[in-house]
Amino acid sequence: MMKPVYISAAAALSPQNSFDADTLLPDVISSNNGKLFVKDTDYSKFISPVAIRRMSRMLKIGISTGMKAVQLSGTEKLDGIITGTGRGSMRDMELFLGDMIRLKEEALNPTYFIQSTYNSVNGWLAMQTKCTGYNQTYVHRGHSFEMSLLDAKMLLHEATEPQTYLVGCLDEMTDDYFIVKSKIGYWKKEIPNSLQLLQHSNTQGSIGGEGAAFFTVTNTKANSICSVEQLKMLHNPSPASLQENIDNLLTANGLKLKDIDVVLCGMSGDARFQPLYTPILENTTAHTTVVAFKHLCGEYDTSTGFAMWLATRLFQEQSTPEVLIQKKGINPSINNILIVNHYTLNSASVVLMKKTI
Amino acid sequence: MEDLKLTLKQQIIESLNLQGMTPADIDDNAPLFGDGLGLDSIDSLEMMVLLERNYGIKIEDAREGRKVLESVASMAAYIEQNRKI
Repeated sequence: MMKPVYISAAAALSPQNSFDADTLLPDVISSNNGKLFVKDTDYSKFISPVAIRRMSRMLKIGISTGMKAVQLSGTEKLDGIITGTGRGSMRDMELFLGDMIRLKEEALNPTYFIQSTYNSVNGWLAMQTKCTGYNQTYVHRGHSFEMSLLDAKMLLHEATEPQTYLVGCLDEMTDDYFIVKSKIGYWKKEIPNSLQLLQHSNTQGSIGGEGAAFFTVTNTKANSICSVEQLKMLHNPSPASLQENIDNLLTANGLKLKDIDVVLCGMSGDARFQPLYTPILENTTAHTTVVAFKHLCGEYDTSTGFAMWLATRLFQEQSTPEVLIQKKGINPSINNILIVNHYTLNSASVVLMKKTI
Repeated sequence: MEDLKLTLKQQIIESLNLQGMTPADIDDNAPLFGDGLGLDSIDSLEMMVLLERNYGIKIEDAREGRKVLESVASMAAYIEQNRKI
């Protein structure tokens, strides 16, 4: 089995006040239009004025989140940067393709094209941190972030010296993307307030979301917040096979479901995927708190990143905000967290984390 | 010519998203790259697109392009002689 890796810092830009707030979810932001957009911050704190003028919103979001994680960790030298994105910089791509049509493929602005490539954020982060080491971007739809995390785990498993990688994810939602996906039933036809999303789990569709989350991941336990013990990716699992995989993962780590203090579930309010989570809600004992998070960040390819940021904050805070709770447990402290998430039927994942502080 | 220089400065500010700048901040003869406005190679591509889109000017020769993009004054002079729009 692969060695655990340790998270020494985490940062997230999300539709919630996750970036600038000192406490976890001090105020809850909701929407009534089926979309949850990232709450902007002052990007000029992280990016020079010369560079920022040419950047799309997604680039600013990704770079600022990555730089904040590095700042929080106090890391002076990164050994590599690994990022996952399901869709990359959608807005730049849409602008470039729109210009191609509008201008009949002539006199096209190069900036949109250059910055719309999936690895733009990684490139900028490497320049900003002066990291000339490993640099990788995974574009594996609903498993993009998980692939980045797995890559970091494999690199750190083989490392013989202390190493630190910046690992993260980002995805943005645009109006055009929302329209395209609505045609194949991604979003709810009757749109509830985002905070009521899970009360509408008997109908098809979810609400759109976006966000970025970055972590400094190391093989050194000292000064870390928590560990990522194990990660499992599943393709198109049935509720029974997901449950079996959860049980096997816990058994391999000497745990049972009753030992988990908090289960973070990716319930999206979509009736098609709710059965994946029913066994968890039914099988957890009175000890375990079951929480949901997609009513706060919306549905997108790399929402596991937001869940993992939430997990690191739950370890630090040792209490669970009421807005997250689906089933309240009596656990006196938060030491073990299990993340169970899905993105459409194709991608599901299970992540086991443990508190180290 | 003065009107053209003013229009050109406005177009440069807009297409390069030079936030907080006004045409008055750009000297007609100051270099656009390096010590002057501090623009870079992607900006030069954007300005080539600007010339093509707004004035119908297509510069194929890189050496000629460097001369044309030296300053607002050099750009305006070239546009006066070569514009197709």
